[in-house]
Amino acid sequence: MTLLELSGIRAGYGIGPDIMTGVDLEVEAGRTYCIIGPNGAGKSTLLKTICGILKPRAGAVSFEGKEIGGLRPDQVLARGICFVPQDRTLFPDMTVRENLVMGGYLIRDRKALNSQMDRVMELFPILAERSAQLAQTMSGGEQQMLAMARALMIQPKLMMIDEPSLGLAPQPTVQVFEIMGRLRDEMDVTILLVEQNVRKGLEVSDWAFVLDLGTKRFEGPADQILADARIRDLYLGKGPSSKGEDHPPADTGPADEGIGSS
Amino acid sequence: MRGLVQVVILGLLLGGVYALMASGLTLLFGVMRVVNLAHAAFMLVAAYMAFFAFDRLDIDPFVSLPAIMVVMFLGGAALYRLLFPRIEGSPRYGEMTVLMTFGLAFIAEGLMSFFFTGTFRTASPSYATEAFRVGSFFIPTAQLYASGASVVLLVGLWAFLNFTRTGYGVRATMQNRTAAQIVGVDVRRVSTISFGIGMALAGASGALISFLFPFFPARHWQWIAILLSLIVLGGLGSLKGAVIGALILAVASSLVTDYVGSAWSPMTFFLALFLILLVRPQGLFGKEHRI
Amino acid sequence: MVKPQVSGPPELEGPMVEFTEVDPSTDRRGRMVFAAMVLLVLLLIPALQPFVGFYSYMLQLGIVALMWVAMTSSWNILGGYTGYISLGHNLFFGLGGYTAGLLLVHYGLSPFATALLAGVVTMFIGLVAGLITLRTRGPAFIISTIALLLMTSLIMDNWDLVGGSNGMDLPLPDIPLTWLKVPFYYAMLVAAVGAVLLGYRVQHSKLGLALRAIAQDETKAEVAGIDTRRLKVLAFALSAYFPGVVGAIWGYNLTYLRPTIFFIIGVAAQMVLMVVIGGRGTVAGPVIGAALVVALNEIAITQFGSTELNIVVTGVILIVVLLFFPLGIIGTLREKGKLPAVLDWD
Repeated sequence: MTLLELSGIRAGYGIGPDIMTGVDLEVEAGRTYCIIGPNGAGKSTLLKTICGILKPRAGAVSFEGKEIGGLRPDQVLARGICFVPQDRTLFPDMTVRENLVMGGYLIRDRKALNSQMDRVMELFPILAERSAQLAQTMSGGEQQMLAMARALMIQPKLMMIDEPSLGLAPQPTVQVFEIMGRLRDEMDVTILLVEQNVRKGLEVSDWAFVLDLGTKRFEGPADQILADARIRDLYLGKGPSSKGEDHPPADTGPADEGIGSS
Repeated sequence: MRGLVQVVILGLLLGGVYALMASGLTLLFGVMRVVNLAHAAFMLVAAYMAFFAFDRLDIDPFVSLPAIMVVMFLGGAALYRLLFPRIEGSPRYGEMTVLMTFGLAFIAEGLMSFFFTGTFRTASPSYATEAFRVGSFFIPTAQLYASGASVVLLVGLWAFLNFTRTGYGVRATMQNRTAAQIVGVDVRRVSTISFGIGMALAGASGALISFLFPFFPARHWQWIAILLSLIVLGGLGSLKGAVIGALILAVASSLVTDYVGSAWSPMTFFLALFLILLVRPQGLFGKEHRI
Repeated sequence: MVKPQVSGPPELEGPMVEFTEVDPSTDRRGRMVFAAMVLLVLLLIPALQPFVGFYSYMLQLGIVALMWVAMTSSWNILGGYTGYISLGHNLFFGLGGYTAGLLLVHYGLSPFATALLAGVVTMFIGLVAGLITLRTRGPAFIISTIALLLMTSLIMDNWDLVGGSNGMDLPLPDIPLTWLKVPFYYAMLVAAVGAVLLGYRVQHSKLGLALRAIAQDETKAEVAGIDTRRLKVLAFALSAYFPGVVGAIWGYNLTYLRPTIFFIIGVAAQMVLMVVIGGRGTVAGPVIGAALVVALNEIAITQFGSTELNIVVTGVILIVVLLFFPLGIIGTLREKGKLPAVLDWD
């Protein structure tokens, strides 16, 4: 069944131009989706618009059949959509445990909160080890895992992750994608992933959306997209939408409003 | 040596009160990135409330203090809701909030001047002229009680921030506003409450000022300059820094008052500010490039 | 743009014509003619003496207005172009006044001669102050400007050399009473023109471009290779020059110097209010804002008298303008496309 549906979404930052110029897509429950595309395509902007950090300038976003465009982030979260941003956005002066407690901020029942924390620690044993450590003192890979674990605290229906492998060395990258694979297999959560590491991202996903210049160019099963010649053209700058660069661009995303990170 | 210890004791007592004042300022900055230039003006509004309650109705400032805090909390929450949400997303938010609170300070000062004139006021309950003797040291009763009240309130603030759900939300918003949003903290509600608490703390400070210092409407500029210098020293947005900065500078300014004269005591704060800007611009406990 | 061949000021004609090409030289010529006309009028005002009964009052008003124009245009370099708000800028105003006053009392030098030197002194102080305070950004900087002002105020209030809180009395210049205000008027006019020209030159220079980049996003400007520290300090120093000059002239005009005249924060508030109303970061904004606020102040005082409620009004207007017209007069007009070309000096 359709979990999330976007139609004609336009969005941008502040008073700046539209980054997303008209996006339509559908996400079905239980599958893992990967969004790929060149620099400036609007991938991060898309996730931020869904989760409520940005308001859509036009178009509709609906989750489980109900319109959520324009809702505040905490309201969107209450519906069951969580977001793991690009820079992890942890609470630097809080411990691992406190960060997880904050992840479960909306859970009023203390017992439920604690039992969920146990489940999450089970999935991420490294966090159980370091539960009293300050978030800002952890390595990049550990921070990424904390960010994902925190997002899982409310048992979301949809989990959106923005570039999990950004800034990570090969070893932690492998670990992170392993975890995502386990999430897909063991927990009943739909994942919407933005990844610059195209191969790894598509390997762990069922379906792929390809974005460029603010709209969806095409979509398809993840394993087929990887082999699709259009991808190569898009990234290597031979297609009509390209910027003429002949090296895979790094998606840095626009400088945004988030206050620093760990 | 004895004289020195006496001065330090006085400084520490004063530091407690300064810490209370600075904590309200810091809370506002930490949660909403607002430099509230009107903080001291609101403190004086509360001081006038406490003064007149004492002068006309014989109500001791410590008794009127809780009521004043409640009034200020509600006023603060209302003021926040009225002025700040509409400029929240603006690119020039920082400058605009500074200028807005600048305007608020003048409004408050003008109204106070108009209604209460520029006469120096001080409430004088009995304890204002008494002192305890501990060994060969004098501990002025008024300062002691005020410091005690400050400690109680600061502990209360600490407990709120570390043991209540809303308090966690406030801490989270102070550390990373975006992260707080994505874990479900209603940052609008948190901001309103924080503004209210900040104003309530200003209210408490004002009630204490009413009998500790002579005050008149335009006095708030000196207070705010001192407090702002203090929180820059401590590190903008750090409550720990505000408390420690307050204690250090209160002791230092007491020493200055003792050796050079009370007129120069504010200078301590300004010199400390410029010193910290030269040596460690982010303050003692601040983060680099925090803004 | 092809200007329609009509005689009235452009803004009175409706947008009926579809403009096709840009012709900046016509705009520039129009502006220069306008400026020359304004300047001519200002130069000739003192000649109205035989025709006007309230001559000294009129000149005094002109002196005040021109003084504020000089100060706001200078403040704008730091607060408008660079985005660093100084809430203590009148410290330069006061120090300029005291410098010239001291030179007059101790060495008999007329402030008309020493005003430019006073400006150099304050500019130097601005340089030093900038080197210290511009190690921070945003709120910390604003706080440090307030501290600077109060610190200066404290010193001047307690320093015997400058008379402490009693200040100094200055001798009157040796000019017949009828014409007394005239040299002050022209001195202020020169300062005002100088300050506006300085603002204009900065706005249209590479420095101005760099300052605007800093105002928009300082980190990005740094990354782009702009020496932000050096340029910010330069902006600070430049913005400290003319306040010192007009301070020197104003002190002489008043014939006495008191810390409470120069160093109270209300003076800085007026500066900020004027620039915000006029339009921060524009060349014409500070001028318009200063003229408007001086005029309104004068009307308010003559109609309602001067009470403590005046500063309440200042605060209210400041907040209202910030909430609803943050770009000021010039900025808002420009945004709506209704800015008359003669006022578009950017």
